[in-house]
Amino acid sequence: MNSLRRRQTIVATLCLCLLVSVCGQGATARTIRWKPQEAPQTPPTPQPKEDFKFTKVDLELLDQVNLLDKRFERDGLVLEDEATNAYLKRVGEVLLPRGLNLEHVLWKFRALRDPVPNAFALPNGSIYVSTGLLALMDNESQVAAVVAHEMTHVLRRHTYLQNRSNRKKFLTMNIIAAIGAYAPGGVPGTVITIVTAVAPFIVLATMFGYSRDLEREADLKGIDMMIAAEYPPEEMVKMMKVLNMDIEGEEIRYFYNDHPALQERINYLNSYLGARADKVTPQMELNREKNAYFTKTESIMRHDTQLAMNAARFRSAVYLAQRLVDFHPNSSENVFLLAEAYRNLGPRSPELTEKELTNNAKKDAAKKRAKRTPEEEERDLLATPAGQQNWKMHQQKAEELYQRAASVENPFPAIHRGLGMLYEKLGRPNEAVPEYEKYLELAPGAADRERIQRRIEALRRTQT
Amino acid sequence: MTSTSTLAKACRLRTATLVGLVALVVAVSPSVVRAQFLHPKIKSKESLIRNVVILPAKVQVVRDSMKGPEGMAAESELLSDRVEKMVAEVLAQKHVTTLTGPAASSAGDGAQQKYTVADIQAKFDDLLPKVMKKRSDVKKGRFSMGDEVLNLNLEKTADAIIFIRGQGQKLTSGKKTFVVLVGGMPAYLKLMIGIVDARNGELLLYTDPIFAGDPTTAVDRLRKALEKSFKKLSSAP
Repeated sequence: MNSLRRRQTIVATLCLCLLVSVCGQGATARTIRWKPQEAPQTPPTPQPKEDFKFTKVDLELLDQVNLLDKRFERDGLVLEDEATNAYLKRVGEVLLPRGLNLEHVLWKFRALRDPVPNAFALPNGSIYVSTGLLALMDNESQVAAVVAHEMTHVLRRHTYLQNRSNRKKFLTMNIIAAIGAYAPGGVPGTVITIVTAVAPFIVLATMFGYSRDLEREADLKGIDMMIAAEYPPEEMVKMMKVLNMDIEGEEIRYFYNDHPALQERINYLNSYLGARADKVTPQMELNREKNAYFTKTESIMRHDTQLAMNAARFRSAVYLAQRLVDFHPNSSENVFLLAEAYRNLGPRSPELTEKELTNNAKKDAAKKRAKRTPEEEERDLLATPAGQQNWKMHQQKAEELYQRAASVENPFPAIHRGLGMLYEKLGRPNEAVPEYEKYLELAPGAADRERIQRRIEALRRTQT
Repeated sequence: MTSTSTLAKACRLRTATLVGLVALVVAVSPSVVRAQFLHPKIKSKESLIRNVVILPAKVQVVRDSMKGPEGMAAESELLSDRVEKMVAEVLAQKHVTTLTGPAASSAGDGAQQKYTVADIQAKFDDLLPKVMKKRSDVKKGRFSMGDEVLNLNLEKTADAIIFIRGQGQKLTSGKKTFVVLVGGMPAYLKLMIGIVDARNGELLLYTDPIFAGDPTTAVDRLRKALEKSFKKLSSAP
């Protein structure tokens, strides 16, 4: 009996030790990598992780990401625009420390066709920046901020390190679960049951904590890379502020997050920049840079506005199209896109209110989004007076904008398709049909020809 | 004394009934999981599916080990191709012909066509969680992808487009032992298949076959699961 109790106590102690060691591991990792740093006057260029030795697990992960790269291309997710990818490559090469040759890294910089503002790096050196993020930026320095952050993940081998760390933690969780399944009775058994019930949450917290640490390192090393490449580092802070705008109200804070909160990132970046944060690049210079950036990325912005509408991100579409019109007011295509954005916005408000941007409201909205289709959301909103008012206002605005786009030199043919759709929705088939016909006349080889022809036929059937 | 024993008997009976009910639910649930949901137009045979186009399947499988899940990108690609072919074969038994994929558009280049397919696939990915939340609403004709599906410029004879998604896991030998001893998710494959009207984008049929077993090798089980999934779909004349 005594020996059994002794064995139970040993198991319980072992279980506790295992848990403490896992938690301690995370804490140690944090202490080594993250020291509150004072801004150095001349920051060292971030160096790759020299002591990194590839293991079988790392090479397996490398194979997986190489296949992922190919899949992105094959599935039409990569923007096949040479000018854009060359532009991103140039920015990346400016940031890259000279003469650097990293094992198993082949740098590739590409734009991803995704309206959600995002960027990520694969450990094989592929850096992806979404069109949604490129369309929100103001200048090349902000592109550099994002690319520098992602490049740091590759240089410091973050993906491999995180994979290794996660594997250890998963193993720990499974061992704890096995111990919990065979917990003996008595006090030690109760202790084991409690520890095994709580342990997975603690292990999970250390996983997310580790991920947040790596993100923080990427932010700070990214700043150093920007300075070394002579990009104004304060643009990284501005970039975070751009992301913090949260046009669609989808930045939800959960108990566990793999990235630090955006406001927290802004704070520590400001504190890291210290005195340098005040050396803001003169506004004139920034305006010049903004102009050059918009000229280079106007086609991406248009592409992304369309993607945003396809993905029911109507508020983002209005915001982006408005930026395009502000930059190039005489472009028929830009004005057309703004008209399309307003037509699709329908009964929704163009901006979220402060109340709608609270964390709880965002969680509720996310739940509704998961249940309702955009058409159902529109129908529900149209049943409210505010929705009705918005709808009326936005359809009117869309019509004005379509007409403005048509009056500009070299009008975009799709204006007539947009007007046709607008009139169809407003229940004015007599006006919709000629607009559709005009569109098909101006764009005889349009990819959506059959779609429009079917609409014309359907409208004619209702007329007779 | 008598009343106490009657009470105990009644209690036992109630427990037995409860256990029986739970057993019944468990026994019936696999067939619920394999259920098919048909649009009224298909159920009433107002619309018939004769020719279909299968868009590239997206089936993801992972290898679950004691150290967590590991990617199986190459195996996932092979499995996606296999599922696509098998769906075509199963439908052929119902005299449904599988046509070739989206033709190159007359106006756009190759990249534009690739984008169109990617956008339509993304639209299905947006719709899928809503369908999965309330699968029975397919019977009410609630879900549609809109007439944008016409932008794919499929052959004129195409009646429907098939979207295939899937997820599954294979276990390492260590994890298999762990699952036996401690419990956990076994090896499985779950498919989510949507058949969409090629002319107006309405979701005509939704089915989500699931089976336990190694998804990369259980070919026969996959075929059987697919055959059961399309059981309610009437054969084309």
